[in-house]
Amino acid sequence: MMKKLSNIHWNHYLNYIVIGLFTLIFGSLSLGGMYLNSSLLFLMEKIAISIILAVSLSIVVGFLGELSLGHAGFMCVGAYLGGKVATLLEPSIGNSPFNLLISLIVGGAVAAVCGVIIGIPALRLRGDYLAIVTLAFGEIVKSLFQNSSDESFGGALGLDTPRYDKQYLFIWAFALVLITLAVVQNFIRSKHGRAVTAIRDNEIAARSSGINVTKYKLLAFTISAFFAGIAGVLYSFSNYTVQSAKFGYNYSIEILVMVVLGGMGSINGSIIAAALITFLNTKLATILTGDLAVLQNLFYAIILIAIIIYNNAPSLKNFRNRFNFGVLYRKLIKRNADPTNIGDDKAKWDVVPTKIEMNEVLSTDLNPSDNYIKGKGGDK
Amino acid sequence: MELILSTLINGLSLGGIYAMIALGYTMVYGIAKMLNFAHGDIIMVGGYVIYVFMSFHNPLLAILMAVICCVILGIVIEKVAYKPLRGASPLAVLITAIGVSYLLQSLAQIIFGSANKMVTVYEFGAIKLWGVTIQVSALVTLAVTVVVMTILTLFIKYTRIGRAMVAVSEDKGAAQLMGINVNKIITITFAIGSALAALAGLFYLLKAPSISNTLGAMPGIKAFTAAVIGGIGSIPGAMLGGILLGVVECISYKITAIAPYTDAIEFSILIIILLVKPTGFLGKVRREKV
Amino acid sequence: MKLKKLLALTLSALLCLGTLAGCGGKVNYAKDNTKFIIGVSGPLTGNAAIYGTAVKNAAQMAVDEINAAGGFNGIMFELVATDDANDAARLATNYSSMYEGGMQVSLGTVTTQPGLEFKNLSKDDNVFFLTPSASGDKIPEFDNGYQMCFADGNQGKVAAEFVNDNYAGTTIGVFYKSDEAYSKGIYDQFKDNLDSSVKVIETTFTDANTTDFSTQIDTLKECEFIFMPTYYTPASQFMRQAKGVLEAADAVYYGCDGFDGIDSIDGFDITEIPQEITMLSHFNSKATEGAAKEFIDKYVEKYGKDTLNQFGASAYDCVYAIFNAMKAAEQAGKKITVTMSASDLCDILKDQFQGGFTVTDAVTGSEITWEDNGYVNKSAIKYVIKEAN
Repeated sequence: MMKKLSNIHWNHYLNYIVIGLFTLIFGSLSLGGMYLNSSLLFLMEKIAISIILAVSLSIVVGFLGELSLGHAGFMCVGAYLGGKVATLLEPSIGNSPFNLLISLIVGGAVAAVCGVIIGIPALRLRGDYLAIVTLAFGEIVKSLFQNSSDESFGGALGLDTPRYDKQYLFIWAFALVLITLAVVQNFIRSKHGRAVTAIRDNEIAARSSGINVTKYKLLAFTISAFFAGIAGVLYSFSNYTVQSAKFGYNYSIEILVMVVLGGMGSINGSIIAAALITFLNTKLATILTGDLAVLQNLFYAIILIAIIIYNNAPSLKNFRNRFNFGVLYRKLIKRNADPTNIGDDKAKWDVVPTKIEMNEVLSTDLNPSDNYIKGKGGDK
Repeated sequence: MELILSTLINGLSLGGIYAMIALGYTMVYGIAKMLNFAHGDIIMVGGYVIYVFMSFHNPLLAILMAVICCVILGIVIEKVAYKPLRGASPLAVLITAIGVSYLLQSLAQIIFGSANKMVTVYEFGAIKLWGVTIQVSALVTLAVTVVVMTILTLFIKYTRIGRAMVAVSEDKGAAQLMGINVNKIITITFAIGSALAALAGLFYLLKAPSISNTLGAMPGIKAFTAAVIGGIGSIPGAMLGGILLGVVECISYKITAIAPYTDAIEFSILIIILLVKPTGFLGKVRREKV
Repeated sequence: MKLKKLLALTLSALLCLGTLAGCGGKVNYAKDNTKFIIGVSGPLTGNAAIYGTAVKNAAQMAVDEINAAGGFNGIMFELVATDDANDAARLATNYSSMYEGGMQVSLGTVTTQPGLEFKNLSKDDNVFFLTPSASGDKIPEFDNGYQMCFADGNQGKVAAEFVNDNYAGTTIGVFYKSDEAYSKGIYDQFKDNLDSSVKVIETTFTDANTTDFSTQIDTLKECEFIFMPTYYTPASQFMRQAKGVLEAADAVYYGCDGFDGIDSIDGFDITEIPQEITMLSHFNSKATEGAAKEFIDKYVEKYGKDTLNQFGASAYDCVYAIFNAMKAAEQAGKKITVTMSASDLCDILKDQFQGGFTVTDAVTGSEITWEDNGYVNKSAIKYVIKEAN
């Protein structure tokens, strides 16, 4: 039996194990009657919400290769709808796990429907347009909720929602993180996931290989929206009010920063970056006040620019191959390992080795001095 | 009648500003094939430059400096942030542009603070026409926008650089093989776009004499909407889209029942247009080539 | 191998838990205090930073004065201010860091939207708060919350009465921000209390960053009376832009307490506006006598003119009101110690504020009492900031 277990790719499950253990420890502490500080509980709730958001956005940005600037908009839909359902159900079934479950389903489902609605024009368009459509969607949603009547969604004051017992909510939140991970990772590692990454790498090639581009784009988009909705419902349960001003463009960018910082196309990277940025945000909020607070935005901006240029600039390709985490890791830890040995050839879809640099191969933007041409000449 | 006329004129002047910004978007998108998210923030920079140089009480100097500073800024942004990414995926360029937009906003806040600054560039006053009070600045905005659009169209049609721009827009590789310096053309495009943004900043200050670090954010997004509605890459399209959006915005603000939803209405128009006619009104259909 | 390690790790972690669990219950975070800690959360950054800064400065000034005069039986006070950037989502962190840092009594929040979160958080732990400026009608919903400023609804009601008395049978204009709690809260009450003979033309805006109000001005250009329940930044931009467009040169701009400070904006010369500017408030930043004058002199000397407004004045009164209520409770035989929990202190203060506690000769009113529902009871004054030219 042990032998069978050793065949399992443990690094595929490492993130479940870490998060699961974490939840188990703090969960049993809380359930065991230990009084945990509210600040710790609030931080854990926030981290869980951020992880769900980052992982779900990473499907669209990292694996589908499209830019969504309306992720906070889907979250907003989830938060308002989930919060409304919870408020309506509270008199009959109270603020129970059952209430949470129903709200989660409703919030996630409505957000997913919005994802389909926004996904349809997105299918007809290419990258930049999708970014603008999702941005427009986020603004529309915000505006509709902000100007709703007081009876329906609370209007300018925001919707009053029941707050879930803080001693228990973070356990549910991390359980949802695990569910999100399970769904997203299995999706990415399945044949559907491979189809999605194939679309990212070259849409025309993917289409000519018989992949139903429309279907997979829509699928990826809907899954992403669904989990953003789930994060929204969690948000509504972790606050007493849901105010739509929160879910603007800036929040969408913050989630995008998490995905970019974690490395696009890396789920684990997104998780770490989400936790780190959320932690830093809460800590910095108390340190950087007054005019200093803007430094945080400056920092985000520089991270975005620097990381993208480092990871994507064609001219930095050689530099990247010599200095990166992988090389560093091998140098520090596996000194004797042969770097040319790719090792276990089983598909590791979170690193997606299928990436064919079609853009590079087919690029017509060539300088006579390009290395590309020189390299060819040298081959002869 | 009077109500319709005054709304229309307000809409036209607002639309003129949107058109001016949209022209910049459309030029850059058409030639560099990238969505320059930071374009709106160059308007803000232009506004602040005017604010700083208005301390000399010379509007012409301030405007000139705004155009020069914005052109330099546009070129620097292009060289530092966008040029290294030429040939990378559009997603990477787009995210970098968002980063640049954030960077400019934060830097402006660090330098000028978050409070609004008031600055009066020049007061044109108002005239009465057919019983309607019309701000002269609105007419100036509209006139300058039309002139700029005409000059741009002529420039692109009849000058060497203009035709080189068209060539780069059609096919970068082929243009390069024909001896066109693609990098130089893209830099010139950014310079022109930024100069237009500086002018848009000026018109904003003529209309509403107040400036903050987020001045360009919303107009930038709306102007992009306008560019898409008109057909991105098309200069008359940007003009048409801008004016259409400006008029819709003003009409919507006039109707009490839908006034709070004005932004939502404008963005819904964008989504509908993209659904029905993704190339916009005057845009060309482009076939994707492998 | 890995699995065995993992199992061992899990088991040992669970064992550790067994020993830790069991020690529970609520904690008195103030048990090590050497000073009374007053907490406040306000926007120290962003668009509303000027209000948060004013509250922080003025409250600090009051605390310093009380400490210099010997504190509460020799025990000093300490003010802890956190930054919420007017974002409700940041309240949970702010509140818990203050509460766990030993906060015993609070000034709540500076603005309404984060305040809606604060009132619930503080209710769970039973922390007393007296907010200087969060004017939402729902802020003092629970019995631990009180307001020093007028509730939005009351401001709207008073403004409507003024219009009913002076502008019956005419058409007035209203300019407000439809998605802002403060603006909409006042306007809704205003509309409900307005006489049916007054015809209203309303116009709104939603983008907080917008500076262009030409359409809104065009809508209201024939009005002789314009009610503006907004903060002063959009109002000042409206007035500046409306300068030659508004047909009546002697029209009246009528605002609420958000107008305070409109005459000290950098680059905005109030004398350029031909119309009259009037506001309804509890504090006049141009006061020439009484406690208000004293406060203004002290504040300007210490922090300058830029952040002088009714928010600060109100915060100054709040700190003194809490201090005086503590003193009054002690005289009534209640025992107040520096290490007592926030909840115990809250019960004592609640009794005081419910039991007819009165503040006299304060900066924002000569006689201030509180109703049982937490709303303040004092007289509102109409200040003419600038006469029509």
